[in-house]
Amino acid sequence: MNVVTPPWAVAPFVLYLLLIAIMPLFFGSFWEHNRNKLLVALALSAPVVAYLLIARGWGGGEELLRTACDYASFMALLGALFTISGGICLRGSLAGAWWVNLAFLAVGAVLGSIIGTTGASVLLIRPLLRANGRRAYVTHIVVFFIFIVSNAAGLLTPLGDPPLFLGFLRGVPFTWTFRLFPAWAMVNGLLLAVFAVIDRYLVLRERRRLRPAQMPVFLGITDDGPLHLEGGLNLLWLLGIVIFVFGIGSYGSRLFGESYLRSAIQIIGTVLLGALSFATTARHIHERNRYTWGPIIEVAVVFVGVFLTMVPALSFLAERGATLGIVRPAQFFWASGALSSVLDNAPTYLTFASLATGVVDAGAGVLTAGNLGGLAAHPLGQQLLVAVSCGSVFMGAITYIGNGPNFMVKAIAEQHRVHMPGFFGYVLWSFAILIPIFGLVSHVFF
Amino acid sequence: MLKNILVCLEGSSSSEAATRVSIELARSFEATLAGLAIIDEPDIRAGTVTGIGGASYKHERDEVLLADAHKKADDWIALFERRCREADVSARGLEVVGRPADSILAHMSVQDLTVMGKDANFRFETESDDVRTRDAILHRASRPVLLVPEETPSKLGTKVLVAYDGSGAARRALESFAASGLALAREVHVATVDDNGTAAREMADRAVSMLLASGIVARPHNIVSVLSNVEALYEAAHKLDAGLMVMGAFAHSRLRGLFRASVTRGLVERSAIPLYLQH
Repeated sequence: MNVVTPPWAVAPFVLYLLLIAIMPLFFGSFWEHNRNKLLVALALSAPVVAYLLIARGWGGGEELLRTACDYASFMALLGALFTISGGICLRGSLAGAWWVNLAFLAVGAVLGSIIGTTGASVLLIRPLLRANGRRAYVTHIVVFFIFIVSNAAGLLTPLGDPPLFLGFLRGVPFTWTFRLFPAWAMVNGLLLAVFAVIDRYLVLRERRRLRPAQMPVFLGITDDGPLHLEGGLNLLWLLGIVIFVFGIGSYGSRLFGESYLRSAIQIIGTVLLGALSFATTARHIHERNRYTWGPIIEVAVVFVGVFLTMVPALSFLAERGATLGIVRPAQFFWASGALSSVLDNAPTYLTFASLATGVVDAGAGVLTAGNLGGLAAHPLGQQLLVAVSCGSVFMGAITYIGNGPNFMVKAIAEQHRVHMPGFFGYVLWSFAILIPIFGLVSHVFF
Repeated sequence: MLKNILVCLEGSSSSEAATRVSIELARSFEATLAGLAIIDEPDIRAGTVTGIGGASYKHERDEVLLADAHKKADDWIALFERRCREADVSARGLEVVGRPADSILAHMSVQDLTVMGKDANFRFETESDDVRTRDAILHRASRPVLLVPEETPSKLGTKVLVAYDGSGAARRALESFAASGLALAREVHVATVDDNGTAAREMADRAVSMLLASGIVARPHNIVSVLSNVEALYEAAHKLDAGLMVMGAFAHSRLRGLFRASVTRGLVERSAIPLYLQH
């Protein structure tokens, strides 16, 4: 049954994304409770579910089942990566010298694509703050950490950032994201270079104010012992996740055929690896990382609404993408990026990937929003998907709400007595540093 | 005479100086001293955009900052009470939860004088400085405020400069200063800044007469200077070696303050001696 999606069916998705952005600001105490979030999610999802079942019949039911599988796979991976990275702890002291900070961020830029930007942020932010605990200027370090480790780092693999994993779940090959390397290298390289200049300048400025007796303290020479890793067994579980997700993505259809069976195996495998990590990690490591289930439960609750309400929205965009005026890669880069900066970048990625499907398919009915593998293989679709991937991942850094780890890093920094800029203050940093770099990316690649 | 003095406790160097000065004032006037420590829970818990998954981190961050704010308030009050005991000053510590400006204004309404550090940051958990609270108090307070810079010694100097511009705020500051007893055993000078010598002298004479009515002898000065009012008054206080300056705070409307530089704000930023201010 070929049903054209009515525009009103998109309204719950748009409304829900707006509520996610503004509820914490105006109704913070209400939004703090996961039960209330779930009620809002279900209230907005109910008309969508009703529409799918009534207007699309069996087809709608199958879409819901497919969505449930995607949701479970998505949450299983996020939960496993969250648990594994929460079980690894970097201990010991480092000097807060500019080159040490630079090395930290460079490691984070690579690690982000392996353990995810959330995992890399959890692992590295506290040691970095400890290393700079005696520095007078720390805010810029945290801001660049959010730019690089919490966002731009995650572009190279589906494990790096939730938008790319959503793409992977919808058929984009695991290795497809490797082609984003030039953009990843350019953005991270430029950010690291700018950071090095700013941090070196501020270090010299701080040193000029210090008396010689204060130098050892300033250089971070403390008695915390050398840098070392605790919870190293989690690296094994992490490797397991990488191999498992890569294997399922590359060979799953050949081995298991039926997509539901493949999803079930993927979910069971990732949950098992996460559970192994949790069971084998010493409690004190979780305590040091302040590991709790709170954030992942919150993500799970909020994404119930995202996954359900976006079903008709994605269909709508895939059906009418060619008529909406966004057709060129640069347009996709900036439009997906602009929305990613104020809404969460995961649903934004899927929205624009669906729009790209509509543009490429142009009503032929060959490509669908449910299978982005076709889009990734199409010459024009590939360009558009590169633009959407770069826009969604990079520009999630523009505000604190663009990507999950951004606010987490801000909150942890504030717990360490770092005065972070407010929402608009942070946006000023973004506009001064990120937008010129993104302009260059747009000019070079799109 | 000063009978009840409030000092705002906070961790900065200027607040430390304010505590020293307030203990000395309470000792010399045999006044009761109240030390106020504020836990700025509303600003710590204020709603903010958090993104998906951020509410848990915000909750955790709020709890950590609140616990830290409570601990600091407890420590400041304990230290304050110990120092008052050592100085044999009647004192009590107050720990309140609320917005700093509102909390201070509520408590200062029953005090003869409120002493604050010039650079006090009552929103230390969430902001790196806090001009907003200081300005709000100076704009809204109906009682006098003594703003103390960090380099102030325990005892205020023997010379006082009254900066008088004829405004209602300046008159109120003059009256409350005269009633406070702070002029006793101090040399009082009244300064007016105006290019019109006759008008300035008349204004200064009025202030001198008002002080004289309270039994305080003061010398008038008319400052004619190419410098701004702020710099001219700062220079005059420096030349006189004044240990205290008295003036009306924010005599003009906030709207006017948007377009013209505020003398109050300028002097608060510039002055290295305590400022006795009243709106």
